Formats: sequence, C-alpha cells, structure tokens
Amino acid sequence: MSEPAANTVELSKQTSTPAAPEPEPEPPAGVLRRRSRSAVARSGARDRGIAVLIGLLLLVTGTLVALLSFGVFGSMRAGRPVLDPVIVEALGTQSTVSRIVAIAVGILLTLLGLTWAARSLRPERRPDLVLAAGGATEIVVSSAAAADAVATEAGRIPGVGRVRARLVGPERAPALRLTLWITDDADVQDVLRRVDGQVLASARASLGLGALPAAVRIELDTAASASRVA
Amino acid sequence: MRYLLRVLAPLLGLALAAAGILLVIEVVAAWLRPTAEAGLTVPWPDWQATMDELTWADFPVAAVAIGVAVVGLLLALVGLLARRSDIVLDSPTPAMAVTTSPRVLARIVGRRVRETDEVASASVTASPRRIVVTARSWAGAGPELRSTVREQVDDLLTELPLHRRPRVSVSVQERKGPR
Repeated sequence: MSEPAANTVELSKQTSTPAAPEPEPEPPAGVLRRRSRSAVARSGARDRGIAVLIGLLLLVTGTLVALLSFGVFGSMRAGRPVLDPVIVEALGTQSTVSRIVAIAVGILLTLLGLTWAARSLRPERRPDLVLAAGGATEIVVSSAAAADAVATEAGRIPGVGRVRARLVGPERAPALRLTLWITDDADVQDVLRRVDGQVLASARASLGLGALPAAVRIELDTAASASRVA
Repeated sequence: MRYLLRVLAPLLGLALAAAGILLVIEVVAAWLRPTAEAGLTVPWPDWQATMDELTWADFPVAAVAIGVAVVGLLLALVGLLARRSDIVLDSPTPAMAVTTSPRVLARIVGRRVRETDEVASASVTASPRRIVVTARSWAGAGPELRSTVREQVDDLLTELPLHRRPRVSVSVQERKGPR
C-alpha cells in the first residue's frame, strides 16, 4: 500500500461540477389534483363570470325600466320625463363633483374593459422549465422541447396512435396537457397506467421535478382505426 | 358557446373601454368649453333635447328597455352555457386528471354495440349523465337482444374508469328486409 505518486492525475472534479438536479418534494395530493384539473383546458371562468354579470345587470335594468314604462310603479312616475328636471338641476348645482365622478367612472370603465379584452386575447402561457444546477449555472429546458420529449415517450405506449403535449401553467408550478389519440383496440386503463408509470415518471426524473401534474385528454384515433371490411 | 364567448369577451371589453373613453372625452370637453353647443365626438346635446321630451311611458323607452333585457338574457345564457361538457375518468394518481368528450364515449359504446352479430346498426348519443343507444336488429332477432346490448354497454362502462357512471337506456328496432 504505497502512497499515490505526486504526479497522479486527479480525475474527480470539485463542487463546481453540475450535480444531477435534486427533485423537489412532492406537494400534497389535494394540490396536485387541483393543478392537474386546472391544466385540462384554458379556464374560461373569468370570461363567463363577467359575461353573466353584465348580462344580469342589463336584464334587471331593462326589466325595471320596462315595468316603469308600463306604469307598474304608478302612472305619475311613468309620466315623468326620462331626463328628470329635478335630477338635471341637482347635477347642475354640484357640477364639479358630478364631472369628477363622471370622469372617474369613464376611466374605470376604460381600464376594466381594456384589462378584460387583453386577458381574453392573451395567448396561454407555455412555461420554460428552469433546472437548478447548483452554483451560478442555470439550465433552461424550453417548453416545446420538454413537451416534445414527453410526446415522443407517450407515442411509444401500445394503443396510442398520436400524441400532442404541451406545458401549461405558471413557471413555478408547470403542468402537462397531454392529448392521446388511442386506437380502437386500446385498453384505456392500461394506457393511463403506462402514462403515469412510464411517461410522467421519466419526465419527472429527467427534469428534476418533484411533481408534474398532467391533464390527459382521451380522443379516438380515426386514421389508425382498421377498416371493418377485410 | 365556448367559441362564441371567446369572440364576445374581447369585443365586450373593447366596447366597455370605448364607452369609458367617450365619456371622459365628452365630460372634459364640456368642462373646458362651457359655451360650446355641440359635443366633441358624440352629439349629446341633441340626445339631451330628445330625452327632455320623452316620458318613461313613451313607446321608444319601453322598446329599448325590452331590447336591453333580451340582450342581457342572451349574454347571461351564453355565459352560463359556455361550460365544458367533459366526461371525467378516474386516474391512477391524483397528479393526473383524465377527461374525454361525449363524442368519444359515444363512439366507443357504438363500436362495442355493433360487434354483436344480431345488431345491424346502432346510433349512440352520450352525455356525462346519460347514454342513449338505439340499435337496429336484423330480422328475426329475439327479444333478448335488448338485454344483451345493455349488458355489453354495462361491461364497457365497468372497463372504462368513468368517474361518474351515466344512466344507460337501450332501445332496439327491428330492421325490415333480408339480412
């Protein structure tokens, strides 16, 4: 057992070597379930909510004005001018206040309208994956590259004809949206088990993610289905 | 409805914003030019004169009000009906959410039903709550065909990990003519 010679080459590197990415701890099941469900499709909840709100406001206003017009609230009230002189006079005496209120309402409407339009026109986010490699190194896997890798892997599952994959969600909590076109003879349960056991497991391991919630959409592959006439 | 809402949402947003901008422009213009007799972009003095003469009981007021109420009702309906009609499947892990469309479920059920020898053709409609199968049998098929088809659909639904089992209704019509 002699000591190593002085000219021995040291092959192992020090801490500057990028280590394999440490998987993050897995979030609780409830969080995972919520994230996977929200990856199913782009949420239309905000648009729907605002549309219902505006619709109900218009419906209630229109109905009340129609009832007023038909004299339900008394014929005296129905006989008043639409632009009531009492209200016009009140606004005239408080002209500065009413103008400022009108300008504020106008600015508010503009901001709300532009925000709503911009949010509903904005394309869905496709997050790149940032892998912490240690030290000053940062490895970024583009959204398309990660999704392509997953799609290729999922395409190898027996019974799966075509695959489309994309990453969705915020960068800190990415999720996978996977559309599988399965063939006629595919066993859905088996395909799902393989997606979880093979595709998602290897994606999590290679990307160093503690969790990668996925929304899987099942479609039927029409091109690959065999003709019923031999 | 989802596509209609996707188109309507930005248009409504822009309309709101345009109304807000016009309001600000007109109020500021009227404030800065108190002697002006016409609006800058909107002829609001004319509107004011018209509305001075109108009473609530006049016909145009009621007509416009009913129109506004109908538009509001339609908009609320579009918002309420623009939900996804996905069929949810059970997934092996909470980290996966599995869905499919009623069309796919109907096609899978239809394919299974048509595998039966006595069935000449079948039409299937599916929703998350209900599957309706109308099978046309060849002439001479026995009355037990209906229960056979039902069993097949039940077996299929057991194989598919559907989160919520839809109700199944099967009807069989006999097809006229030779096989």
